[in-house]
Amino acid sequence: MTDAMIEFRDVSKRYGSLVANDHLSLTIRRGELMTLLGPSGCGKTTALRCLTGYIRPDEGRIFIDGKDVTDVPTHQRELGMVFQNFALFPHLTVRDNVGFPLMIRNLPKDQRTKMAADALRLVRLEGFESHYPRQLSGGQQQRVGLARALVYRPKVLLLDEPLSNLDAKLREEMRFEIKELVTRLGITAVYVTHDQAEALALSDRVAIMHRGRLEQVGTPEEIYEQPQSRFVAEFIGLSNFLEGRIEAVDGASMRVTVGDLRLTAPALPHTGPGQRVLLFVRPNEIELLGPDEPAGENVFEAQVEKATYLGDSMDYRLTFGQGLALRVQGDAQRRLSPGAPVRLRLPRIRCWAITAG
Amino acid sequence: MRLARAYIRGLWDGRMILGYTLLLSLTLFIVAPFLMIALRSVGKGWFGRLWLPPQLTLDWYRWAVEVGNIPEVMKNTLIIGIIATAISTVIGIFAGWAFGRRQMPGKEVAMAIVLLPRMIPPITYALGVAKIFYTLELVDTYLGVALAHVSVCAPYAILVLSATFEGLDERVLEAADVCGANTVKRFFYVVLPLIMPGILASMIFTFTHSYNEFTLTLLTYGPHTVTLPVRTYLAVGDGYWEITSAMAVIMVVPSLVILAMIQRRAEPEKLVGGFKGV
Amino acid sequence: MTAFWRRNSSGLITLLLLTPALVSFFGLFFYPMVLTLILSFRPEGEILGWTLENYGRFLSNPDGRWVIVLTFILALASTALSILLSVPLALILREKVRGHRFYRLIVLVPLVIPGLIGALGLLLFWGTRGWFNLFLTQFVPFVERPFPVDYTLHGLIMFYVWLYFPYTCVTTLSSLESLDRSIEEAGAVSGATRWQVLRHIVLPLITPAILAGSVLTFMAAFGAFSVPLIAGGNYRPLSVEIYKEISIFIPARWSAASAIAVVMGVLQVIFLSLYMRYVRRAGGAGGSR
Repeated sequence: MTDAMIEFRDVSKRYGSLVANDHLSLTIRRGELMTLLGPSGCGKTTALRCLTGYIRPDEGRIFIDGKDVTDVPTHQRELGMVFQNFALFPHLTVRDNVGFPLMIRNLPKDQRTKMAADALRLVRLEGFESHYPRQLSGGQQQRVGLARALVYRPKVLLLDEPLSNLDAKLREEMRFEIKELVTRLGITAVYVTHDQAEALALSDRVAIMHRGRLEQVGTPEEIYEQPQSRFVAEFIGLSNFLEGRIEAVDGASMRVTVGDLRLTAPALPHTGPGQRVLLFVRPNEIELLGPDEPAGENVFEAQVEKATYLGDSMDYRLTFGQGLALRVQGDAQRRLSPGAPVRLRLPRIRCWAITAG
Repeated sequence: MRLARAYIRGLWDGRMILGYTLLLSLTLFIVAPFLMIALRSVGKGWFGRLWLPPQLTLDWYRWAVEVGNIPEVMKNTLIIGIIATAISTVIGIFAGWAFGRRQMPGKEVAMAIVLLPRMIPPITYALGVAKIFYTLELVDTYLGVALAHVSVCAPYAILVLSATFEGLDERVLEAADVCGANTVKRFFYVVLPLIMPGILASMIFTFTHSYNEFTLTLLTYGPHTVTLPVRTYLAVGDGYWEITSAMAVIMVVPSLVILAMIQRRAEPEKLVGGFKGV
Repeated sequence: MTAFWRRNSSGLITLLLLTPALVSFFGLFFYPMVLTLILSFRPEGEILGWTLENYGRFLSNPDGRWVIVLTFILALASTALSILLSVPLALILREKVRGHRFYRLIVLVPLVIPGLIGALGLLLFWGTRGWFNLFLTQFVPFVERPFPVDYTLHGLIMFYVWLYFPYTCVTTLSSLESLDRSIEEAGAVSGATRWQVLRHIVLPLITPAILAGSVLTFMAAFGAFSVPLIAGGNYRPLSVEIYKEISIFIPARWSAASAIAVVMGVLQVIFLSLYMRYVRRAGGAGGSR
């Protein structure tokens, strides 16, 4: 009994000249909630549909619970799925919607009623059995969809951007509920979204996809704090990029020349002097120093180009060195105006480097 | 019962092949009658059990033109068609404007009433029309037959043109106003170009319906106003399939050409629309 | 006076715009119908007087009643067959198989062809010298004599289907295409085979459209005139019977014809309202909005 619940082995899918999935290999562990995250067109939806069987991959194999299901038709894969537009059956009541998978499996009526009621209780929608989907709000409809997906206790739950059609406040509530439900039932879940906040909040692990390929797989912390590529750093949160070259390596840290300035950053394994690197630092991690604080490591003189008041923070565009630009998020209490000189510090551990070129 | 279920399952499993068979048979089903008409119209000496006529000839077409009076019949059909289209289009523009852009209590009911002449079998009120025309001496006149056509063509014109006018976005007109156009300029530069496609479409539909109209024509025609459909019908009565076929070809070819042209531009499935209230 | 104008000008303008349509409607449709109704109560050939003899003569005559039954048989049979043909056809066409645009065009052909021409071609093709019987007698074993189709009841029903099934097919197809595919995917993921998805999900959702389309087919078949006129042979439905009264008899029997026309109109209206009520009930309970 392996730990892997779902496995994509070298899965590829092409549409004419467009490569939707490019030799995708990914393992999803039993009981974890894995999010496929990426911009539209990155292939996450295609990957999900290969998993359901609605799409057949051109190459590669797909395994669910150790079994090769690549050739198994959708209706035999024993999955549960929640759709972006709910996909409820408009001509059936809530009870019949939720009970549909059970009806298909020829379960006796009283058992169906009981299991459907249990499922509705799970999603906190008791009492709506006789309603029709059109009588329900978006959030309620999505819960019915969730109940329908869970009613026969599948091993795997798939969620295709389930919260995109809900308004922002509802989205946050539902996010919480889904995570809680999935954890409580111990189901393995694959979640597809383009919303990074959702991904970071919900997932045990995140798989970032770009143009049909996996960019990085890791926990939300790993993804956010240690992006492995420019794309990931750009996609998750805001970033500043500084191009530089390693001058020297000194144990756990290294000196990087950026333009005519010198920065100290954590050492990057498998690199040495002369290597070109890209440094990231997040706008909210750059410190703006007062005039009497001493110079030090990674402290530079800068000038404010633009200052935007955002209510709870200030958004600055600064230039330092020879025309290097930085975006910095500052305290709303202390407002700097354009043209003002300022000192900033890039804390060493907050400078994250990847190899460039 | 189990046999039936097994049969249906067998059909379902073989559905790919079955599907293509169905499509091909359908095509044959629909197209074959036309082929037969076309062949009959050029066949000579085609008696008995032959798949194809032994000889080809244009005699029948010549006969249709010289003895069957087709040129004059065609002239009648076109004139009547033009008159009917003109009247229907005028009716349609005014009524379409009213339906599409003005407040009207019971608009849906009114639209259903407008469409009644298409829902009731024409033969039922054709009787009354004929009687009235006899009294007014409109039988066997271009205007008379055209008016009879208007009763079935105007509903279509109204339908198409109300949709056209309804589709005129208020905001475009407002933008024109803001840009400084007065009513006249606005009409010619903005409104007219926007509704022109709708007017053209309505004219094409109307003309086609008048061209093909048979039932009402049959009851209001006379020796001077024989139209193509009526002439073809009379030829059927005479019993010469070859000549009838030739006339049928002459009659049908323009319609098919127009259908092909329309198909490229628009969704002709909308032809069926207008019964949404049903 | 100006106050009246100011208050009602909008309505009056609308009325003005509608005048041509109203004139046409009343003059060319409504008044003729009223006239037909009045005529039906007039003794034959007379200008005054009221009588029910026209109705009596038609309805008491077994031939007259047969005409009514025949019209319904033709309309109902062809409507039922049209549904049987249209639903599988629509299901196939929506899958965008190769050449599907061509096939869609083919389905539309009977709609744009005048019934007269269609009937002519059908007579030629299915007749004793036509390709159908040539094929039958030459390539199918055990068949020696041509199979009669022309001027038969089953032939006429088939001709009706040829002409009027597109109404059902097109409405069914457009309803099918407006179905959200993700619903079917949801069904599949829930464990339903393609057949089960069709039976439990797709068909219930398109049934209202099928019925609506079949209403159109029925109405066209009920009122069909040119087709039975030339291809009906001895089978004369109501429409042809009406025409017969004023074309074969000299002097033309307008009153008799009018009576039949009124019967036809009334029957159609009654049947339509019953059908619509059934459609609404069937559509409302399980239908989507």
